[in-house]
Parts: sequence; C-alpha cells; structure tokens
Amino acid sequence: MFHWLEKNPFFFAVGVFVTIAFAGLIEIVPNFAQASRPVIGTTPYSTLELAGRHVYIKNSCNACHSQLIRPFKSETDRYGHYSLSGEYAYDRPFLWGSKRTGPDLMRVGNYRTTEWHENHMKDPQSIVPTTIMPGYPWMFTNKADIDTAYAEQLTIANVFGVPYNKAVPMKDGSTKIVKMGKDLKDAQALALAEAQEVVKNMKDQDVKDAVANGEIPEIVALIAYLNSLK
Amino acid sequence: MNKLYLWGIIITAAMLGATYVTVGYQKGGLNGDIVNMLAIAGAVALVIITVFVVIKYVRQMQVDQATGELADESWDNIGEYKNPVPMGWAIMFIGTMIWGMWYFLVGYPVNAYSQIGEYNEDVAAHDAKFEKEYANIKGENLVNMGESVYLVECVACHGLNADGNNEIDAADINKRISEKSVKYVVNHGSNNKLLGMEMPMPDRNGLFNANTGALITDAEIDTVAKYVANGFPAADQAGADVFAGVCSACHGADGKGMEYVAPDIREWSQALVVNVLDYGKIGAIGTMPSMDRLNAKQKEAIAAYVMSLKEGE
Repeated sequence: MFHWLEKNPFFFAVGVFVTIAFAGLIEIVPNFAQASRPVIGTTPYSTLELAGRHVYIKNSCNACHSQLIRPFKSETDRYGHYSLSGEYAYDRPFLWGSKRTGPDLMRVGNYRTTEWHENHMKDPQSIVPTTIMPGYPWMFTNKADIDTAYAEQLTIANVFGVPYNKAVPMKDGSTKIVKMGKDLKDAQALALAEAQEVVKNMKDQDVKDAVANGEIPEIVALIAYLNSLK
Repeated sequence: MNKLYLWGIIITAAMLGATYVTVGYQKGGLNGDIVNMLAIAGAVALVIITVFVVIKYVRQMQVDQATGELADESWDNIGEYKNPVPMGWAIMFIGTMIWGMWYFLVGYPVNAYSQIGEYNEDVAAHDAKFEKEYANIKGENLVNMGESVYLVECVACHGLNADGNNEIDAADINKRISEKSVKYVVNHGSNNKLLGMEMPMPDRNGLFNANTGALITDAEIDTVAKYVANGFPAADQAGADVFAGVCSACHGADGKGMEYVAPDIREWSQALVVNVLDYGKIGAIGTMPSMDRLNAKQKEAIAAYVMSLKEGE
C-alpha cells in the first residue's frame, strides 16, 4: 500500500491531510466545545442591553476599550477577575479589542454607576480632568434602535438556542430569567420598563422626559449595557 | 597521510588555538573555575569530534562505491537501492514511536505549565510579600498607602480633593456627613450592614423624641441635621436638645456611636469606612459600588487616609 501511495502523489497528499485533520479535530473540538459553554452567572443580554451594545459598536467604543482581562496581577488588581472564554458565550460578535487607549470595560458594571456614566459620556473631562476621551452628547438625543435589538434576540434565540425566558443559573445558586418579548410591541414595552429603572438614577431632564414619553435615548441603552458588564 | 588529514590537523590546531586565545583573554578566563574548565573541555571535544567526523565522511565520498540491488522504480532516472535499513537508525525509529505513545498516553505533563497556574503563583508570591512588608504598617505610612490607593480607586468619583462631585452623586468625604444625608437617613432609615450587623436604623416612624414624647417632626429633623452636619457646635442648643432626645440613645450623647449598635456620626471610623468599601452604599445622593477587590490592608489604609482628611486642609 505504501508503495502504491509513493507512486500516486495525489492520494498520498489526501492521506496526509486526513491524518493531520483527524489529529487536529480530536484535539481542538472537544476543548473548544467545553470552553465555549457559558459559565455560571453569564446571562443573555436583555433587549435594552442589546440595543446598548449596538450603540457601543456603532460608536466604535471597542476601538479604544478592550473587554478582555488577561491573567496578570496588574490587570486583575485593576479590573477584577481575569476573563473566561465562557463569559463571551452570548457575545455576538465578542468585543475583546486589541488596543487599550482607554481602560478595559469587561467588568465596568462592578465599579461604576449610572450617574458616573451619564456625566462621563456627556463631558468626560468634568469627571476625569486629564482624560483624552471625547464626549458623546448625541447619545442623549438619538433614539436607541429597539427593533433591531429585538430582531437580533429572536434570531439568536431561534438559531443558537440562547436561553431567553428560561432559568439561567447564577453564582449564588439562584436562577435568573432574562425575558424576551412575544412580539415587537411586547419587546418595546420590556425595554421601556428597563429604561425607566435606569433613568431613576439619571439627572438629565431631557432624557427623563423622553423616557416618560415612551422614547429611549441611546445613552439609556448604553448605560444599561455597561451596567450589565460584570 | 594525504591532503585531507593534513587539513584536518591544521583546522584542529587553528580552532583549538582560537578557543584558547578567546577564553584566555576574557575576564576571568582560564582561572581554574570548574564551570569554565568544563566548558573549555567541551569546546575541545567538539572540535576534535567535528574534524574526525568530517574527515570520515569526506573520505567516504572520495573512495566509497554504492552497491546493492536497485529497486524497480526509477524517479526521473534517480534509482534507489534496496539496502536494509541501518540497525542504529531502525532502533531510534522504533524507540521514538514507543516513546511517543508513552508520552501521549501517560507522560504528557498536564500539570507542567499553564498560564493560570503562573498567574496564581504570581499572585500568591505577591500577596505573601505584601503581607510580610506591610504587616505592621501604621501611622504616616498607612495614611500614605491609603492616599495612593485612593488616587487609583476612589479618585474617579470622589475627586482629587476628596470633596466629591454632586453631578455624579459622590459624597464630600472631607466631612463626616452632610445635612442632606442626615435628613435622608432620618426619613428613610438605614441598613447598610454597618459594623457587620443587620441592625437597621428605623425611619422617621420609629424615631421618638424623648423630650417631647412624640415622633420626630420636620422642624426637628432640620434642626438636628444642621447640628450634626456642622460638627456638633456647642452654640447650637436647639440642635443639641433634639440630638439628645432622639439620636443619643443609639449614637451616644457625643455622637461617637456605640459598638455593635450604631456608628460614629461625628468622625470617620475605620470600621465604618471598611464597611462601606465592603458593601458599597446606597445613600441620600446615590449609589456607591462596593470595592471588595481591595485587600484588607488597603481598606484599612483608605480608612486611615479618610480619617486624616480634615475640612479645609
């Protein structure tokens, strides 16, 4: 047989490919499947958080802010526990980033508050005098796109089986249910209810008025998203 | 004795000479140090073996003739002998396969290295060093440590001068408590797990004024809030009266608190600051996230720093 292979280079190449591919498969696939499972405490994004994530991506926050804490003491001291691959299970796409012009935001929800984000997004220098981050005042007037967020929710729930409306285990042993609306109207109502919770801690009167009128400015969605990063 | 052997001797001599000169003129060269001498012995052995092997193969190329039965195939007129595999090579080949199986099935060093393992060791080593170095830190040094931790962790909200920021609901921590906070706590009660206890302070419906025998009134709240926020001024007799009637039962006649019952509301105490860092705080002006990733000594240091702050300094 080896004699025959030596005389037929095409089939020899096929044999080499199959052998190496098999070795690769049995080494990579099981590890990958294991590591990509959501860790306990990782929940899917709610409608408003997902809309905020779209705002985050739209404004290229990930160009300056990473969302990946490496296992070095200097990083875990500053940002918290190092990232686990399962924590990105519901990130489509993940926003690891490769450049930190600003600090990492993987767990920013643990140590910053709604009030802080509100003022910092409007005028960063008023909070951190030496920062080079620009302000994002248009987020206070632009409206968040809840429809697209709901479309994404529907898609990932159907195609990838993301557990909306199902109990998800949390770190303290309890479970949490992230709700997804039955239809678009329902989803908008859910997002609005969530937005009302967020604006309770906000000061900008225009934003408060907008939410009271049933509109959701981008900043509210973004803050909901940032607060969910834990 | 042909040209080949002559060249071998010349090259050997030249390389040994170069080794001797190179090492001999280095700092600490041929000084009898065992490691240096071993290295030189190795260099000498390498030179001799290299020359010997090269001579052997060059000689073989010059005189050897290929023999044996040719294989049937001819690859573009390049033939191949059907000579048996050399014994040494075959042993190495089989040996490598056996070692490979052993390595994959048994010997693979699963615990040899991992990034997380290195991280854990790094953290443990650092923590041990930190413990050792700062076990007995106190006084000025503790305050300095607190200031440096403050400048990293707290400054983003409470500001460089620790005077807080109304816009983002960060408290002025140069003073113990603001008028607004006193009013809020009296109206809403408080349960911040202070001092490790679940002992809640009641809201205004549970606060009796012993002097009047009735629940605390709006006017009394204003009076006592001013009194407490201004640092218990002796001139404020009205405030002192309300405080004595309502608050002193738990917070003490002088406002310095009681262990396991109520915190000091006159000045910052270490237990109080550490508690706020542990659990965060939901107060009159907003929410403070918990800072529980700091270690115990750092929290103590922040407390010392906060306690060292005095208004106007």
